[in-house]
Amino acid sequence: MSAVIKTTTPFVIETVLFDALERVGAEPKLVSSAILHGISQRNQVQAGDILTNRSDYNGRQFFRRQGERWVFLHDSDEYSTRIVGGLADRRYTPISRFLSELSLAYDAAYNQHLETLAEQERLRLVEERKARVEATRKQAIEKAKAQGYSVKEGRNTLGQIQLVLTRTV
Amino acid sequence: MPEQQIVITIDDEGAITAKTSGFKGESCLEALEELLELEGVVSNVKKTDEYRQQQSVQQVRVQKIKRT
Repeated sequence: MSAVIKTTTPFVIETVLFDALERVGAEPKLVSSAILHGISQRNQVQAGDILTNRSDYNGRQFFRRQGERWVFLHDSDEYSTRIVGGLADRRYTPISRFLSELSLAYDAAYNQHLETLAEQERLRLVEERKARVEATRKQAIEKAKAQGYSVKEGRNTLGQIQLVLTRTV
Repeated sequence: MPEQQIVITIDDEGAITAKTSGFKGESCLEALEELLELEGVVSNVKKTDEYRQQQSVQQVRVQKIKRT
């Protein structure tokens, strides 16, 4: 006997997984300790799990972090399956298809996540550069005044800071 | 009384270009050193014709980029 299997994209980043679940209409909900006691089902959920709107014999299907990854927990026989929550009129899709769609959504969400990180890094560098210019300006003015210069501040045609220091000797 | 002047330009990266006038000889460089702590950060010094005269004019470009 031989077999070929394909695993899903490893779901590693919680925010990206959450985004991906929203993209596929799984209405993710993070289980907090505050709402934990209000959840009743055969599968014991824990604070930190991510519930979906997919339900089976054991109750809500959900994600749980195991080590570095989030894994999907569900009834292996897919018995008594249905969609609950706000999208209850949707048709239930089998686990394998759901995970395939979720993998694609996760990849898209991950790419967006990388773009967001790149933008945050760009903004950080811009702020760092501004702070560097301001520190240089402030230091030059303070030292000039301490050494008896009068200081006139302006901008040149390129918009750069220009300090004119003058003193008589 | 003689007047000493330094014009400092700070570019968008924090690098400094400084131009002096009214200083005697090497004193213009000393004045810039005192003001801007130039050791190890000057990338270019351009001495003008006036530098060899009693009064000097100099341009100094300084790269002052803080490493983080």
